[in-house]
Amino acid sequence: MPTVSMTVNGKPVSAEVEPRTLLVQFLREHLRLTGTHVGCDTSQCGACVVHVDGVAMKSCTTFAWQVEGCHVTTIEGLAKDGKLHPMQEAFREHHGLQCGFCTPGMIMAAVEMVYRKGHDLDEKTIREELDGNLCRCTGYHNIVKAIHAGARAMRDSAGA
Amino acid sequence: MAMTMNGEVRLQAPREEVWTKLNDPEVLKSCIPGCESLDKKSDTEFEAVATNKIGPVKARFKGRVTLSDLDPPNGYKISGQGDGGVAGFAKGGATVTLTPAEDGGTVLSYAVEAQIGGKLAQLGQRLVNGAAKKLADQFFEKFAAAVNPKEQA
Amino acid sequence: MTGTGIGAAVRRKEDLRFITGRGHYTDDISRPGQAYACFLRSPHAHARIRSIDTSAAANLPGVLAVLTGAELQADKIGNLICGWMIHSKDGSPMKMAPHPALAVGKVCYVGDPVAVVVAETLPQAKDAAEKIVVDYEVLPAVADPAKAKEGPQIHEVAPRNTIYEWALGDKAATDAAFASARHVTRLDIVNNRLAPNALEPRAAIGEYDAGSDSFTLWNTTQNPHVARLVISAFVGLAPEHKLRVIAPDVGGGFGSKIFIYPEEVVALWASKRVGRPVKWTCDRSEAFLADAHGRDHVTHAEMAFDDKGKIVGLRVHTIANLGAYMSTFSSSIPTYLYATLLSGQYAIPHIYCEVDAVYTNTVPVDAYRGAGRPEATFVVERLVEVGARELGIDPPELRRRNFIKSFPHQTPVIMTYDAGDYEASLRKALEIADYKNFPKRKRESARRGKLRGIGFSTYIEACGIAPSQAVGSLGAGVGLWESAEVRVNPTGSVEVLTGSHSHGQGHETTFAQLVSDRLGIPIENVSVIHGDTDKVQFGMGTYGSRSGAVGMSAIAKALDKVEAKAKKVASHLLEAAEGDIEFKDGKFIVSGTDKSATWADVALHAYIAHKFSGQELEPGLKEGAFYDPTNFTFPAGCHICEVEVDPDTGEVTIVGWTAVDDFGVVINPMIVEGQVHGGIAQGVGQALLEHAVYNSDGQLVTGSLMDYAMPRAGNLPSYKVDMTVTRCPSNPLGVKGCGEAGAIAAPAAVINAVTDAVGVEDIPMPATPQAVWSAIRSRAQPRQAA
Ligand code: FES
Ligand code: FES
Repeated sequence: MPTVSMTVNGKPVSAEVEPRTLLVQFLREHLRLTGTHVGCDTSQCGACVVHVDGVAMKSCTTFAWQVEGCHVTTIEGLAKDGKLHPMQEAFREHHGLQCGFCTPGMIMAAVEMVYRKGHDLDEKTIREELDGNLCRCTGYHNIVKAIHAGARAMRDSAGA
Repeated sequence: MAMTMNGEVRLQAPREEVWTKLNDPEVLKSCIPGCESLDKKSDTEFEAVATNKIGPVKARFKGRVTLSDLDPPNGYKISGQGDGGVAGFAKGGATVTLTPAEDGGTVLSYAVEAQIGGKLAQLGQRLVNGAAKKLADQFFEKFAAAVNPKEQA
Repeated sequence: MTGTGIGAAVRRKEDLRFITGRGHYTDDISRPGQAYACFLRSPHAHARIRSIDTSAAANLPGVLAVLTGAELQADKIGNLICGWMIHSKDGSPMKMAPHPALAVGKVCYVGDPVAVVVAETLPQAKDAAEKIVVDYEVLPAVADPAKAKEGPQIHEVAPRNTIYEWALGDKAATDAAFASARHVTRLDIVNNRLAPNALEPRAAIGEYDAGSDSFTLWNTTQNPHVARLVISAFVGLAPEHKLRVIAPDVGGGFGSKIFIYPEEVVALWASKRVGRPVKWTCDRSEAFLADAHGRDHVTHAEMAFDDKGKIVGLRVHTIANLGAYMSTFSSSIPTYLYATLLSGQYAIPHIYCEVDAVYTNTVPVDAYRGAGRPEATFVVERLVEVGARELGIDPPELRRRNFIKSFPHQTPVIMTYDAGDYEASLRKALEIADYKNFPKRKRESARRGKLRGIGFSTYIEACGIAPSQAVGSLGAGVGLWESAEVRVNPTGSVEVLTGSHSHGQGHETTFAQLVSDRLGIPIENVSVIHGDTDKVQFGMGTYGSRSGAVGMSAIAKALDKVEAKAKKVASHLLEAAEGDIEFKDGKFIVSGTDKSATWADVALHAYIAHKFSGQELEPGLKEGAFYDPTNFTFPAGCHICEVEVDPDTGEVTIVGWTAVDDFGVVINPMIVEGQVHGGIAQGVGQALLEHAVYNSDGQLVTGSLMDYAMPRAGNLPSYKVDMTVTRCPSNPLGVKGCGEAGAIAAPAAVINAVTDAVGVEDIPMPATPQAVWSAIRSRAQPRQAA
C-alpha cells in the first residue's frame, strides 16, 4: 500500500492507505478526526468540506493521495489557541445550526467564501455561494445571517 | 424503466447471409458491447457475461441471451437479461426485421426495448435512454461491419 | 431570573461541540474490534426468491458472516411490527403482513434487504455482497397507490392490497349538509411522496457482551426506549434489561428516525453471531431506498358552503400509500393524525372522511415532519382558497367568517381545541405581509413581465402527543406520556434526565432554561442527559412536537417534587417550620425573617444529612416524574407566501414569507424561530421541489440527491417570523410545540400563491417550472398580467 503524507491542522501526518481511500475516510478513520462528515455519496451535500491549501474541497470526492504534501484544515483545526474562529462564533450567536451535522462543512465553506468574496457579503451572494452545501434543519435563514456576520467579524479580528 | 427506440442499417449482403450471421455465436459475441463470453446452451440460448457502464454505475452482467420468434430469413427477436449484482439488473431486446433491398443488399431494421432496475435505475435513469441507444448502435454498427467486411478494409 | 430563564433567547449549550467538530454521531463512534456490515438489497420491486447462494461471498478474505432470512428464522428472530391498531369500517382489524428484517421467500420493494455481509472492513463487505447470487422470479409490481387495489397482490393477508378502509365522522349528516349547500368546491389532490433526508444518514453499531450476555446498540434514533421495547418484546433479540440502546448525537430526524428498522436489528443480531461489534452506516443513495418515506396520499375532497360563505360540510376520500410493509407507526398517520385535523381553524359542523390504506411495492411510508397534519392542512387550505375564489370572497375574509371563536371547541372529528386566537394571528400576518398593498406590488411585477401571487395558510396542528388513555382508545399500542428525573448533586449542580431526545431541537438548552428558571441556578450548572436507556429509566422520545409540552412538563413536575423535598431540608437547616419556608430566586427564606439558605447549602445538607434524622427524612435530593398530558395541544397560525412567476419559464421565486404562529408560551424564541424556518423550508421543498418518484415497475427513479431536489439556500427567501400567544391550558408550562408548524403550513401557502399568480385552480406538487409552465399554457383564458 502506498504512503500518503500531508499536514493536517498544522501537524504532519503520514500513513499507508489503499489507493482508493478517500480524503474523508483518511481523516475520519485513520486520523479519527470525525468532525468532517459524510452526508451523501454523490458530491451534493457539502458536509465533508475541508480546506486544502486554503481552498474549500469536498473531501468525499478527493482521494487521499491527491492531496499529497498539502496543508489540510478541518473543522477541528479552525479554532486557534483555544479561541473560536469568528465564523464559528457567528454560527453559535445567530443559531446557524440545529442538529449540527451540516455545520462543519458549512463553516468551512463559509470561511473560504470570505477568502474569495471578501468581508461584505450580501444575502444573494451568500445564498448562491452555498449552492454546494445542504442543510435540512435550519431553512438556511440563520446560516445566511451567521455568514454575513461572521464575514465581518473575520475582518475585525484580522484588523485587531 | 422501459424505453424503446428504432433504427435501421443497410447491409451489403443478401438476406440469407445476414440471417446466418445473426445466428452465429461468434458474430454475436463480437457485436454485444462489452461481451466477455457467450456460451451456446442450445440453438437459441446463450449464457453471456458482459461489462457495461450506465451513467455512474459500471457493472458486470451475467445473464442469458435468447433468440425467439425465429422466422428465417425475415427476422427474430434477440433478448438479453443480465444480473449486475448490487448494481441491479438490465433487460432488453431487439426485434430484428430483414428486408431485401433493391441493390441486392438487406435492410436491417430494429426496434429496441430496454429496462433497468436497482442501483442502475436509481442513479442512472436520466442516462439510460442515451446509454441504451449507444449500446444498440454499437451492436448494429459492429454487426454491419461483420457483414460488410469490404468496408472494413 | 436573569437572561437564561423562560422566554430568553439563550445561545445553545450544545453548539460548542458541533461548531468545533466534536459532536459524537453514531458513525463517529468506533468500538474495539468492530466489523462492518453491508446489505444486499433487492433490485426488483416484487419477486419471489428461488435461491440465494452465499458460498462465493463467504469465502472471500475478511468475510466473517453472510446472513440471510433463513438464518434469521433459524435463530427465531421476530418480525418488525406496526404498533397502532386501526380497524376498518366493517370492524375488521388492519391487515399487518409479516415484516422480517431480512427477506424470507420474497422481496416486496426495491431496497428490501435480502442478505447482509459482515466483514473486517467495509470494502471487503461490499466486495463480498457483489458475489452473492440471488435467483429471483420477478413478479408484476404496483407502485401507484391509486392503482394498488387492482394491482398484483403483495401479501397473502391483504386481498386487494388493502390494509384498512377506515372512516371518521357522520356520513349521513355530512351528505345532508352537502345536499342543502349553496356551493360546493371540489379538488383532486395528490400529496406528493417525499424522502425525509435528514442530513446524517442512519447508522447502527450492535455489540454483544458474552460475559454479561447483554447487548448494546448505538443507533440514530429519536426514541431509544421505544427501540429497546420493540427489539425486546417483538423482535425478541434480548430481554429488555439485557439491551442498552444509546442514541448519541443524531443529525436530524424529522420522523424518519422514529421507526425500528431492519438494519439495527440485524447489526445487533449479527454482533452475537460473529462475536464482534458490527457497524452499519447507510449511504445516501441507500437511504433513499431504505428510510421510510412520507406523505403519498391521493385525495378527492369537497367543501360545501352556504350563501354567506360559511362552510357547512367537508367530505374527504383519501388513498394512503403505506408501502410494502407497515412501518412502526404508519397506520396512525393517515387516520388519527390526519382526519382529526380536517376541521382546520374553522367551525365546520359536519365532516366525513374515508381513508383506504394500501400496500404497494415501495419502501414503507410513515411519519415525516408533520405526519398527517400537513396532508390535512393542504386539503383544507386548498379547498378554502379555491372556494374563496369561486365565491368571489377575499380569501382572508372567507377564513375569518369561518374561524372558531370560542374555546374549548369540539370538532366533529374527535379533537377538542383548548385555546387559540386565529383572528389575531391572521391580522398580524396581514399587517406584516402588507396585504393591502399587494395589488400595487402585483402591478409592479406585471410591469416587469412577472406574475405575482399571494397565498394563505391558516393551519392548525395537534401536538404534544399525547394523552395515553385517549390514544389507547384509538388503537395506540403504547402510552404517550413522558418521564423525567431531576438529580441534584451535593454541590447544587443539577442533572436532568429526560425521555425526550434532541436531534437538533436544542433540548440541552431549553430544558436547562426551565431548570435555571425554577431553581434560580446558573444555566451552566445544569446538564441535560438523554438518549441512553441505561441512564434514563424510560421515555417515549421526540416526535409530534411533544418534547416541550410533554417532556418539559415531566421535568416541571419533577422539579415540583425536588422543591418540596428541598424545602423540608431547608426547614431543618434553618430551624423553621416547613410551612414557613419560601423558595425564591434560588434562595430558601424563612418568611418574615432575614434567615435564608442558598440552593447550594440546601443541596449539600440534603446529602450530608447531619441536620435531620434519616428516619424522619430520606437523605439525598433526586426526584422523578411521569407526566401524561390531559389533551393534545393545538398550535396554530397564519403563513402568507408571496411569489413571482416567470411566465416564460414557469420558474417560481418566493419573494416574501410571513409566519405568525401561536405556540403558547415560548421558552426560547431563538430556537422556536429556528424550528419555524426549518419547517417552512421543508414545506417549500414539498411544494416546489421534492418528489420521490417510482416508475410503473416500482423502480425509484429519484433515488439520489442528483434527481431528488432538496431545497438549497438559493431556493428559499428569508422569512419574517412573528408570534401571538394564547397560553395552552393543558399543561403546566402553557406551551404548545413548534417543531412541525412550518412544514404543515407551508405547502398550501405556496400552492395557493402560485395558483393565484398563474390564475388556475390547481397545480400539482411539486410545482416545478415545467408544471407551472404547462399550467400557464393550459389556462383557458389567459389572465392579463396587468
Ligand atoms: S459527503 Fe456529501 S458532498 Fe461530500
Ligand atoms: S443543522 Fe442539521 S443539517 Fe444543518
